[in-house]
Amino acid sequence: MTRIKTFFILILICVYPCVSAADFSHATQKHKAACNTCHKITFPDINDYPGHDACVSCHRREFFRGARPPICSVCHSKTSPRDEARLPFRNPARKLQFAIEFPHDKHQDVIALLRFSHAPQGYNNCTICHASRTAMFKAVPTGHSSCFNCHWKAQQPVADNCNGCHQLVTPHIAKEAPLRISPKFIHDGGGEKKQHVAECTTCHINITKAALLRGLKPDVPITSCTECHNKDGLRQDLNKELTAIEKDRNFTCVYCHAPNVGSLDPPERHYLLAERPPIKRKDIK
Amino acid sequence: MKLVFALLLMVTIAVAQNQTGVLRLRVRVKLDDNSPMRGLPRKRFFLVPGSLEQNRALLDAIERQSLITRDCYYQKIGASTALIDWLKEGDCESVYCREVEKNFLTGPKTVPEFVTAFMASQKEYGNAETARQWLTTSLASDLRDGFYRDRQRALQALLKQAPAVQSVMTDRNGTAYFTDLGPGTYVLSNLIPTELGQTLVTWNCEVQVKPGDLATEKPYLVSNRKDRLVKCVGVEKPKPVCTTD
Repeated sequence: MTRIKTFFILILICVYPCVSAADFSHATQKHKAACNTCHKITFPDINDYPGHDACVSCHRREFFRGARPPICSVCHSKTSPRDEARLPFRNPARKLQFAIEFPHDKHQDVIALLRFSHAPQGYNNCTICHASRTAMFKAVPTGHSSCFNCHWKAQQPVADNCNGCHQLVTPHIAKEAPLRISPKFIHDGGGEKKQHVAECTTCHINITKAALLRGLKPDVPITSCTECHNKDGLRQDLNKELTAIEKDRNFTCVYCHAPNVGSLDPPERHYLLAERPPIKRKDIK
Repeated sequence: MKLVFALLLMVTIAVAQNQTGVLRLRVRVKLDDNSPMRGLPRKRFFLVPGSLEQNRALLDAIERQSLITRDCYYQKIGASTALIDWLKEGDCESVYCREVEKNFLTGPKTVPEFVTAFMASQKEYGNAETARQWLTTSLASDLRDGFYRDRQRALQALLKQAPAVQSVMTDRNGTAYFTDLGPGTYVLSNLIPTELGQTLVTWNCEVQVKPGDLATEKPYLVSNRKDRLVKCVGVEKPKPVCTTD
């Protein structure tokens, strides 16, 4: 019995501080206070951890636990009294504890217009949040400044009304990028005339009705592509590849797709738009 | 044999019922008889389940509402002519709709409200460029989004009578998609009259989404002018004159 007790005490000593340091949780009752109890709401972005005093009032003893107190590693990259270096805020290596509530529909109502009659705008359209990350992918906001330019004060949810946008959820790992079915598409492409540079909602057809981010999917219908890429007298990119499949069932569609998608059966809608009867690769002799 | 046929029929019906459809709107309007037909950009349309008859109460409420036009709203709150012109130039309902360029802070196109807000922002943020880009944070609430909030209040009141409504906004070409529609009857409406030149246009049309049409995405043409291709013609009324009370 004494051995078991000793074993559990040892586990508590070894594990407890390590767990508390690595897994700071906003779900803990005492960590559920108003955000500005600990975080400083700074202009133009909130980009640093709370100061020591936010933790010390409850965790004083943990600050003096051994030569390298595990609690320091919640914020600091090195556990040393002479090194103030901190981990990036927010730390991408840690799980996300909050979901963002962003109503695309409301923002579409008031901003999000890409104006062609004016010089290119760096803000007051989708590019406030979705600048180019690569030629193919747009970025998503990683900080607050793209929100604060309107929501810093007065326009709710304002900077210190964190719950207006951040909702506590089960910790999860952030997806790096949404699934792209047609990764060959280039947002700035479309030939010399850059035909792809259009208002975002021309192709992303569900954005203007999306009140939440949850369940929002890449939502570009193939009709957005075939308006140009499968038009008589213009281009026949879809038709060409469907014909190629009919001739060789192992043909991989490459114009839009990577091999993982291009080697699958084309969906019925592709055939419908090309005005062909749908076929399965396995039925092709 | 009969049993197999019945089973096949049931499966077909089940598949058809599970199929969701798409309604592809194309809104093209004429500002007046001499103007060309053009796509109507950035206007919200709603799809209400049920027929026109089933939505009679909602249609009556749309008819009864007395809304203030954009120009009248901004005149009423004492906005400068320069601000009203700036909004009109971009067909903007609020100041968030377009960038406040430098030439609206100084020179002949100066908008006095922007200059005041810019100076307050510069004091707060220190940097002229940030002050310009964050200018709306220093504007008075009514000027900033009062008109939008008024419209939202009116919309929310109407939407109480029409649950399960989908809404989409047209793109710059006047196109928009309603997706994931179950087969049935819907009313396509803009709920709040659209300001078009000197008129207010309201669209309320019945749309059938049939299982057989579900995969087509053929454009459903909406306009303020009759034409053989136009499936939904709006009702136009002259814009009311602004009162100064």
